[in-house]
Amino acid sequence: MSDQKLLRNPVAVKLENVTQRFRVIHERPDTLRELFSNFFRHEVSYHNFDAVKDVSLEVTEGQMLGLMGRNGSGKSTLLKIIAGVYKPTAGRVQVEGTLAPLIELGAGFHSELTGRENILLNGLLMGYSKEEMEEREQRIIDFAEIGDFIDTPVKQYSSGMHTRLAFSVATEVDPKILIIDEILAVGDAGFQQKSFARIQDFRQAGKTIIFVSHSMPLVTQYCDRGILLERGSIVADGDPTEVAEMYKNLLSPAIAAVH
Amino acid sequence: MRELVVDTYRYRQLIWALTLKELKVRYKRSVLGFLWALLNPALMMVVLTLVFSTIMKFPIPHYSIFLLSVLLPWTFFSQSVSYAVDSIVGNGELIKKVAVPKLVFPVAALSSNIVNLLLSMIPLAILVPLMGHPFYKTWLYLPVPMAALIIFTAGITFFFAAANVYYRDVAHIVQVVLSAWFYFTPIIYALDFIPSHYRWLFKLNPMIYVINGFRLAVYYGLLPKWPSIAASFACAFTTLLIGFSVFRKFQDDFVFYV
Repeated sequence: MSDQKLLRNPVAVKLENVTQRFRVIHERPDTLRELFSNFFRHEVSYHNFDAVKDVSLEVTEGQMLGLMGRNGSGKSTLLKIIAGVYKPTAGRVQVEGTLAPLIELGAGFHSELTGRENILLNGLLMGYSKEEMEEREQRIIDFAEIGDFIDTPVKQYSSGMHTRLAFSVATEVDPKILIIDEILAVGDAGFQQKSFARIQDFRQAGKTIIFVSHSMPLVTQYCDRGILLERGSIVADGDPTEVAEMYKNLLSPAIAAVH
Repeated sequence: MRELVVDTYRYRQLIWALTLKELKVRYKRSVLGFLWALLNPALMMVVLTLVFSTIMKFPIPHYSIFLLSVLLPWTFFSQSVSYAVDSIVGNGELIKKVAVPKLVFPVAALSSNIVNLLLSMIPLAILVPLMGHPFYKTWLYLPVPMAALIIFTAGITFFFAAANVYYRDVAHIVQVVLSAWFYFTPIIYALDFIPSHYRWLFKLNPMIYVINGFRLAVYYGLLPKWPSIAASFACAFTTLLIGFSVFRKFQDDFVFYV
């Protein structure tokens, strides 16, 4: 089934030999004084660090891809490259269709503005028009279960309300590609169920989902493809259960060390 | 340059929403709120008028109008630069998480100050007849120097907003530069006050061509001569070209430094 899908469907996200290099400057001079003093002491030292190394990847439309890997393996960097936050040092990135990055929920929220104003601002930041957002406003408010608080400044929201609203905005805008970075542990059990139901709807609607999680049951249950990242490279790509197994093996020395 | 126009138009709704956000946040928790945008220049005008018509008498009739006609545009300039210099760094958290064209932040800082500039012209328009100064038809000409001023200011803000990403000293240096620039620009005085053998030096200051039109139109009821208008737009567009080119060259790297 999933093989057929691969053949039939067009590519939603395509990465070709993508490398993201960070220059890690040891005590980067933040002020001119530091720059001058370092310059005279010839101490502007740095090393290069490839957070993502020569990664090529094709995600077809309608696929739900689970991205696994240890902390610092390059998952978030890869997501930010796909989301267009980082322009990679080398390689090509191609994304077909609108994309909703749920990298950090509510990143575009401004605490002094009300929920309603933030819905608009967040939508505009994701590239939607004012009209599109106004049309969806009520649905967003309903799904987030914010109620009367919608006209209260966001700084008075509980953290649960904050994430619920952000999740609601990001998913109600009807993107073609959804990027989810470890955010499904939001809200209470009821809202979690609702968010999963919504993600299922997305899948059924044939949307592309890229999903990062440390929870292997979630990945094996929902995804139809798994990818394991290690030190910025893809080390496994295929059936999510097998990849999750590899991930477990990768972690086991670390776990064994703890015990 | 085309990119600037196209992207500004494309993201106009976002820019406007950010502009409103800036204005809102600036006047948050104040009882009079947005009215301060009007009251601020009005009260400043009252103070200046009182000082210069009773305490310090200059040999310039209606000195407060002479002063305010260029002080208001200058205030727009200096406030825009002060706000915009931090516009990229201040929105760093956002830039790190959402793919958004970077130019919207300085442009929004600029446009919130344009709103303030336009509002501040209202108390000036009230003050002019109150002082018994003629209300000239040349006020209608004001959009022209305003356009030059905004283009010039945009260039400066793009440059400093980009520079501040790499060296945070820039925000502090800008303040010093602005106050020095203020005294080197004929705002509290006229260019005629400068000894003629130094005047060429002052004429190197692009700001004088940009703000000259304001004083001529509001205080003297005159229109600037063509060469002066041409010079103001030449300065404005050159500054914008340089400022935006620098900004554009580095904008993809901002995310790594904010």
